[in-house]
Amino acid sequence: MTDSEQLHPYVEWIIREARRPVVTDPDARDRVIEAIRVEPLPRRTAVVRRIFAPRVFRLSPVTGALLAAGLVGIGVIAGAVSFNRDGRVAVEQPSVAAKPLPVSDTIVKFVFFAPRAQQVSLVGDFNDWDIAKTPMNRSARGGLWSVTVPLSAGRHVYAFVVDGSSWSADPSAPFAPDDGFGHANSVKLVGRGSSL
Amino acid sequence: MRFRRTPFGAPGSRRVSVRAVRAAVLVFGASVTLRTLRAQETEPDRLARLDANTRFTIHVLMDSAEMAGLPSSALRSIALQGISLKADSKTIVAAVRQELANLRTARTTLGPVEPEELTAAAALLHAGAKPGQLEKFRVRQRGRSDLQAFTIWADLITRGVPSEDASSAITKLWDDGADDATFLSLWNNVQSDILRGLNPGAALQARVRETPGRPPTAKGQPPEGQQENTRSE
Repeated sequence: MTDSEQLHPYVEWIIREARRPVVTDPDARDRVIEAIRVEPLPRRTAVVRRIFAPRVFRLSPVTGALLAAGLVGIGVIAGAVSFNRDGRVAVEQPSVAAKPLPVSDTIVKFVFFAPRAQQVSLVGDFNDWDIAKTPMNRSARGGLWSVTVPLSAGRHVYAFVVDGSSWSADPSAPFAPDDGFGHANSVKLVGRGSSL
Repeated sequence: MRFRRTPFGAPGSRRVSVRAVRAAVLVFGASVTLRTLRAQETEPDRLARLDANTRFTIHVLMDSAEMAGLPSSALRSIALQGISLKADSKTIVAAVRQELANLRTARTTLGPVEPEELTAAAALLHAGAKPGQLEKFRVRQRGRSDLQAFTIWADLITRGVPSEDASSAITKLWDDGADDATFLSLWNNVQSDILRGLNPGAALQARVRETPGRPPTAKGQPPEGQQENTRSE
């Protein structure tokens, strides 16, 4: 658009009005505030007034820290109850009584010879391969380590862990092939009744 | 932030209530800390030790197994084994994937069998047996389990017996109607021979010749009382 162009009279009027300085009454703000002040507050009962009345609590830094820790704890518990550890929302599980209990009627004795070992553990699919769950006991003489565990009937894969790091298959049982971790395991086939 | 006494209530009662609040907060905080520590100690699911991506992948593989009617516990067991061995995430996922593939092949080859037989067959495939070598075991006597045969077979391959030799030996004994005790006896003998320094393949062949058996049945015909695994999944 150029200055030489002819504007519509209505547009020219709008421009003029927009450019005109605004003149306000300097006492207008005070009058509005005064009007608000004299406006009566909504009525509240004594209990409500007491609940909503502002107050200041006195807290030592230690108490404040403990209070904060408690609130964090509530959050942690709520999170643990609501979600599984893998982040999925927990769903209601059927009660244990509703499911048949696993059959674990066979006591199996595992024996391993390791004279120089300080400690030996039994790991397998029956104890989630947890080194801490099934420590073996050393016999009074010699380096014979043993433990008895209840196992359900079926096929079980296991190994011995010497001194927390060295994995060994059971030389007195069939081997299971390496699962991809660099060592073979052993297999125990469990039937009904004791296999001690 | 300003700190001053609360404006309502008597000064004495105020002191008591502040103390009570402090004690309650202290007890609550201690109990929360103890609960959290105890929860970490018991560790309900050891798979939680995996990083989020690996854990998700393992769960997906386990879900796939369950959808296909395969035992997901076998996959979980391998993942847990990897965790205990401090294997890296890639190795764990690869091992679990391999197990799932073996379970699928075993199911296709054997038909609907018990989960333990399926995991034993998967281990056998992992050891080096070919799916075609397992097909013979699709036909079996009612109530006869191939668990022991598969276990000994996998062991022989793991100890160095050539896969073809192990396959023909175990299949022959199976056809001859060998029971669990026969397979176990064979394993004991071959193992002691290997420990004495004999060649694994030669040791197996010698011991199979010694093993008594009944004459094999006509080829391709299941013996009387035997059936194929054809029940629906």
